Amino acid sequence: MIRFLNASVVYPGGVQGLKNLTLDIPDGQMMVIVGLSGAGKSTLIRAINGLVPLTSGDVLINDVSLRGASQKQLREIRSRIGMIFQTFNLVKRTTVLNNVLMGRLHDAGTGRSLVGWYRPADVEIAMQSLERVGIVEKAYVRASNLSGGQQQRVGIARALAQQPTILLADEPVASLDPPTSHVVMRDLQRINRDLGITTIINLHFLDLAKVYGERIIGLRAGELVYDGTGARADETVFRDIYGRSLTADDVMGQEAPAAIPG
Amino acid sequence: MSASPAPDPSVRPLPPARRAKLIASLALAALIVWSLVTVGIEFDRILDLPRGLAHIFNRMFLENGPEWSFFPDAVGGMVESLQIAWVGTIIGAVLSLPMGLLGAKNVTGGVGSNVMRQVLNAIRAVPEVLLAVIIFIPIVGIGGTASAYAGTLAIGVHSIGTLGKLTAEVVEGIDPGPVEAARAVGGSPAQVQRWGVLPQVMPEIVAFWLYRFEINIRASAILGVVGAGGVGEALQQAMVFGRLERAGIIIIVIIVATILIDTASAWLRRRIIEGSGARRAMGDELAEPSLAGTGAARIDTDAG
Amino acid sequence: MTAATIGQARGRPTRPRRSPWSLVGIGAFLAITWWAASREFGIGFDLVSVFTNLTRGASILAEFFPPNWAYLPRTFEPMLETFQMAVVASALGCGLALPVSFLASRVSTPNFPVLFANRTALNVVRALPDLLYALIFVAAVGIGPLPGILALIFFNIGVTAKLMSETVDGVDPGPIEAANAAGGNRTQVVRWAILPQVLPNYVAYSLYVFELNIRASAVLGIVGAGGIGNNINTARKFFQYDNLSVILIEIFVFVFVIELVSIWLRRRLV
Repeated sequence: MIRFLNASVVYPGGVQGLKNLTLDIPDGQMMVIVGLSGAGKSTLIRAINGLVPLTSGDVLINDVSLRGASQKQLREIRSRIGMIFQTFNLVKRTTVLNNVLMGRLHDAGTGRSLVGWYRPADVEIAMQSLERVGIVEKAYVRASNLSGGQQQRVGIARALAQQPTILLADEPVASLDPPTSHVVMRDLQRINRDLGITTIINLHFLDLAKVYGERIIGLRAGELVYDGTGARADETVFRDIYGRSLTADDVMGQEAPAAIPG
Repeated sequence: MSASPAPDPSVRPLPPARRAKLIASLALAALIVWSLVTVGIEFDRILDLPRGLAHIFNRMFLENGPEWSFFPDAVGGMVESLQIAWVGTIIGAVLSLPMGLLGAKNVTGGVGSNVMRQVLNAIRAVPEVLLAVIIFIPIVGIGGTASAYAGTLAIGVHSIGTLGKLTAEVVEGIDPGPVEAARAVGGSPAQVQRWGVLPQVMPEIVAFWLYRFEINIRASAILGVVGAGGVGEALQQAMVFGRLERAGIIIIVIIVATILIDTASAWLRRRIIEGSGARRAMGDELAEPSLAGTGAARIDTDAG
Repeated sequence: MTAATIGQARGRPTRPRRSPWSLVGIGAFLAITWWAASREFGIGFDLVSVFTNLTRGASILAEFFPPNWAYLPRTFEPMLETFQMAVVASALGCGLALPVSFLASRVSTPNFPVLFANRTALNVVRALPDLLYALIFVAAVGIGPLPGILALIFFNIGVTAKLMSETVDGVDPGPIEAANAAGGNRTQVVRWAILPQVLPNYVAYSLYVFELNIRASAVLGIVGAGGIGNNINTARKFFQYDNLSVILIEIFVFVFVIELVSIWLRRRLV
């Protein structure tokens, strides 16, 4: 269970990232966060794995407080939280497999990871993660030679290789075209259901949020302004969250295709 | 393809063969080990090293301190080195500009530019110290201003080589549009260069000149060792006669002056590149976008 | 209405005043140049003497030809030593430079005071010319190739680490964030998120430094640090210009060949 207790983040320079956020996220939930750029979505996600430290308040992961944690403890906690990024953040010059093995860094230890002699068990986990997202045949291909959708799947595999209990996704489909976006979102949904991993996703396409969000959180200027199901979230709700009327940019506008393209 | 529910291990690819890489690495390692073993280092002398260095460091800077009374002379010598580097760099810059232009394929055409490039390579191949010691000192002699003269010529001539090569490469990487436009309005070849080519390349070239100046400072500080003027001569004398305290103050002066000039030059280079929004020139060199602003992007193959 | 009045009616902008700084800059440049080249304050450089000296020097230059080819075999061993010095010093120097460059980059060393100290130390190491290091090491361990190798190692670290640290400063931060998010420690982040990005540059810089070393080690012998420089000293002391020209040609050919190999290698590796 992830708990935010009156959490606030103020960036140097005075910008308020989060304001008195109190929130509980039960295990296994699929939660979508919506809000304008700068509303605090990225801040909230990064507060969960400590990449952004809180200025006040606390965030607890399974009753372990992040604020008091040492660097070592923080790394331990992070190793159980997978993260995928809008720009995929793969190491372009190396193979897909090496990228996925980055998910095993913490468990493999400094010595082994330094020379790249991973244990067979670690390589097996990496391979299985690649199989789960369906691109194991690309294991030895250079990461830069893949399409956007494939690169994001490698990112998901990297996160899965950590064998995480929580999965964070910061605008995972913003750089992808609509059909690929649906594929990725479906993969995330399937992972959430099959493996029971708590999944928290930032989206800025509201129609996607409605379709895939079991629970939707709306942020405005760092504050929680909406907390409800995907079904209940309609146009008025979104307009409330955004504080303005919706535009064409706010929806992806393409239905999930019935037959999934390759 | 979406996630498959039942993973099938039989479709996993095999790791690629790495034989070529392995052979190359082994060959390189063999070369290094062979060199190490046969170069004739007496390894017991390496054991002397920490003590020897400590002793030198102690005498130079600690025991009786650096010889502060020599400070004015040291600064005077460094100033002369700076002057040598300054004038030498100017000579190199002025002469390298036309030669670099001529060495560019898009200015002179294949054969001519190749010839010029080889000439520049030849000039570049000989280090300044050797140029000074072998050619210029015998010609202009030693003593007084003659030494500084020889040093300046050595630095100048050597810089022509490097700067010429870099200039040619920058010119080869320009946008052909403005050049075509200059020709189209009926400009003479000189005018085409002046208005079509030069405006595009000058910021980056000036940045090279500044970087070259930084390197030439080091060269000129040393040239005195062979009698070509500057602070190096005093340093050599001090070391040879065991006056390490004097050597200490000279080294301090050299370090401080070099760092000051480096910092000022780096700042100036950054201003020039940013102010012009100059494009990064291409070529098979080592340019990285991050280095474009410092002029160190195009590796100046004579920083020695 | 004439063209002029039409223009006036439309409000032509006045020509912007040229920034005073560029005039100051040009003025300073000319002043410094005059000062540096003048006879009273500077080195006494004037263009006329260049030509008068050339004619005087022509007779000396004539002594360079023909080169004394009989001398050539006696230069083989020193040239080999020069080559080996360059190989060993490049390998060790560039090898050590890699961790040093990570210590001097703000990306991999976010602790400001430590970063500043490292960078300053690196700047000092880089400020000394290779020949100066050679002088010091010859005084410390005696003559021969050893001080030359040590001198070049320090020189190499200075040049390579500086170039590499600037490259590291410019890497894509994305993979670094990903490695941190996965729970990696500093070493792991450097090894897997930063190193793969900078490896091609590292190889290129190392090749470049090797070329520098070849030229440098040819010179270091002048102060007793091994290599062909010793022969150069002897030859010039005895005014054996025909020997010197052989050495010069040899160095030139050697450097040329190394450069060809280096260009070929770079193309293969990229």
